[in-house]
Amino acid sequence: MTKNSLKNGPDELGYYGIGENAMGGMAVGETLMPALHELNKGFEEAIKDQDFLDEYAYYCKHYIGRPSPLYYAENLTKNLGGAKILFKQEHLNHTGSHKVNNSLFQILLARRMKKTHLICESGAGQHFSATAAVAAKFNMPLIGVMGKTDIARVNQNVVKAKHYGAKLKAVEGSLKEAITFAIKTWTSNPDYAYIIGSCVSSAPFPKIVTFAQSIIGKEIREQSMAQEGKIPDMIVGCLGGGSNFAGSIYEFLDEPSVKKIGVEAAETAALSNGTPGIMQGMKTYMLQTNDGSKSLGGSSLGAGIQYFSVGPMHAYLKNLNAVEYTSATDKEILDAYKLVAKTEGISSALEPMAGAAEVIKQAKDKSKDYTICLSLCGRGEKDLDTIEQHIGKDFE
Amino acid sequence: MSERLKKIFESKSPKTKLVAYFVGCYPDYKSSLETIKQAIDNGASVIEVGYCTSEASAEGPIIKEAHDHVLANGGSLKETIKLVKDIRNYNSKVGILLMGYIANLYKYPINKFVKDIKDSGTDACLVVDAPHELKEENQLRDQLNKHGLSLIKLVAPTTDDKRLQDIINISTGFIYQVNVAGVTGVKNAKDEDVNNFVKRIKKLTDTPICSGFGIKSPEDAKKIANSGCDGIVIGSAFVKYIQDNINDKNLPQKIGTYVKSFVDILK
Repeated sequence: MTKNSLKNGPDELGYYGIGENAMGGMAVGETLMPALHELNKGFEEAIKDQDFLDEYAYYCKHYIGRPSPLYYAENLTKNLGGAKILFKQEHLNHTGSHKVNNSLFQILLARRMKKTHLICESGAGQHFSATAAVAAKFNMPLIGVMGKTDIARVNQNVVKAKHYGAKLKAVEGSLKEAITFAIKTWTSNPDYAYIIGSCVSSAPFPKIVTFAQSIIGKEIREQSMAQEGKIPDMIVGCLGGGSNFAGSIYEFLDEPSVKKIGVEAAETAALSNGTPGIMQGMKTYMLQTNDGSKSLGGSSLGAGIQYFSVGPMHAYLKNLNAVEYTSATDKEILDAYKLVAKTEGISSALEPMAGAAEVIKQAKDKSKDYTICLSLCGRGEKDLDTIEQHIGKDFE
Repeated sequence: MSERLKKIFESKSPKTKLVAYFVGCYPDYKSSLETIKQAIDNGASVIEVGYCTSEASAEGPIIKEAHDHVLANGGSLKETIKLVKDIRNYNSKVGILLMGYIANLYKYPINKFVKDIKDSGTDACLVVDAPHELKEENQLRDQLNKHGLSLIKLVAPTTDDKRLQDIINISTGFIYQVNVAGVTGVKNAKDEDVNNFVKRIKKLTDTPICSGFGIKSPEDAKKIANSGCDGIVIGSAFVKYIQDNINDKNLPQKIGTYVKSFVDILK
């Protein structure tokens, strides 16, 4: 890495960037500070241990089913009549989303650090079901915290997590409330491992989650080189906390020729509409009242991208204009869902359809040899009820 | 470093000081002020005034409910600082500690916050989620020092020896010793753990120690005071008492009597 690499951050205190604009940091109570430093040390040691990395690679292949294909969405490409569209098929992973890459990594890390109990939070339930699956495999008890709004709409994931033996703690609200409660649960049990679901909260979590998810971008490079003879011209991804998108672009951060566009839910677009603040352990952009006393809600059909804040690395990349961030409305998300389902026979989760909505806009005026890669980071099963409520069972 | 806090802890009486926590502007501005006046009249040495934020990550259900109530009624840090000014106008001797989270303090912003709390008569502030690793904590500490105010730091059962020394080195006023790993008002403090922890801190410093979290009754307070700590922090017990008597017209007087039951046993 060179001196000016965008991959240099964060510094040892968890900051991306320098001075007043630095994002991230460690904003949690004293009880958790020793646990966070221990985790950082454990992580830095683990990623220098080849046996550990080999173990992660082994389970990525045999448990998750990696690498996920990089699929040429030929019909969608023809339908849009512009750029060549490639789907990174993260929804084909075991447990149905990209979340399992991170759950697996953090649980292996927790084992290496001799932790015996696990806590996680979840929005769309994908992180809960993925973490519960891996926890079952490694025989570790798990408490998952979820908001009641989300439990009702993505119930299948909760049912699966229970089958895997995890315990559910239901709180009022959605992902935001679940994260705050998970931090409280960890504060009461600081010897547990907190398996956070996205690249958010205090350092070292953003760094750890980004590291685990960066396998997505590494595979995109290899597969794109093998299949297309070049790396993608553009990478698009949805983001709430931002782990899927961070994982997709991290590999390419020092290559400005790859255009990168992150897409938030319009109702909770922290990067487009938020201001810098410090909540939930990190300094980043967030939707909040002017005086910073309250985080602001906002609902999206995509439970996993309905988050008032965003991971600090994205805030940093936005400040540098290294990555473009935009948003998609519920209607755009549903329209994209319909188009992808009809053209490619893929029932996607609604979250990545925020990314697809942007791909639809971007692809049209591009040449046929321009490639756009979109990570399809989840399956549609969890969203079928929501989709039916909004556009009916058999939309014509 | 706050001169007023120094005086309070140098005084021999009461033997163990009561630090009484109230959620500022709860249940409303007027009742909050009257309640705190009663707490002062009945012997609280330091009033800890909580300001509210929606993502308060160390608060248990009792204090969270109070925070939510204040925020729902339009409460703000600015209003809480005004409350502190009224408390200071009422009594010039009591210690006043403003306690909360970095979210709204950061947006205030920090320089103006320190100036305003200095003007209000606050002696110190405590920011739960601002460890010394955080840039904004460094800015805040620097500003408070310049204005002769204290930044109260927390030490927890999980704090290792190196951190303990680091925190002691930057502590002025008193050290807030957290008795349990957890949120406010849930677990119970264990005498033996507290005794050992107080001994551990006393070996390293003469800075006063106030022990908090998990102390739910005057009897608990007495037991914890036997550890040799210089003060006892009571929070959730007072807030719960307010919640249980919220419609009582004599709430301030009742709180006064309740505060006195702690003060008397700590004399």
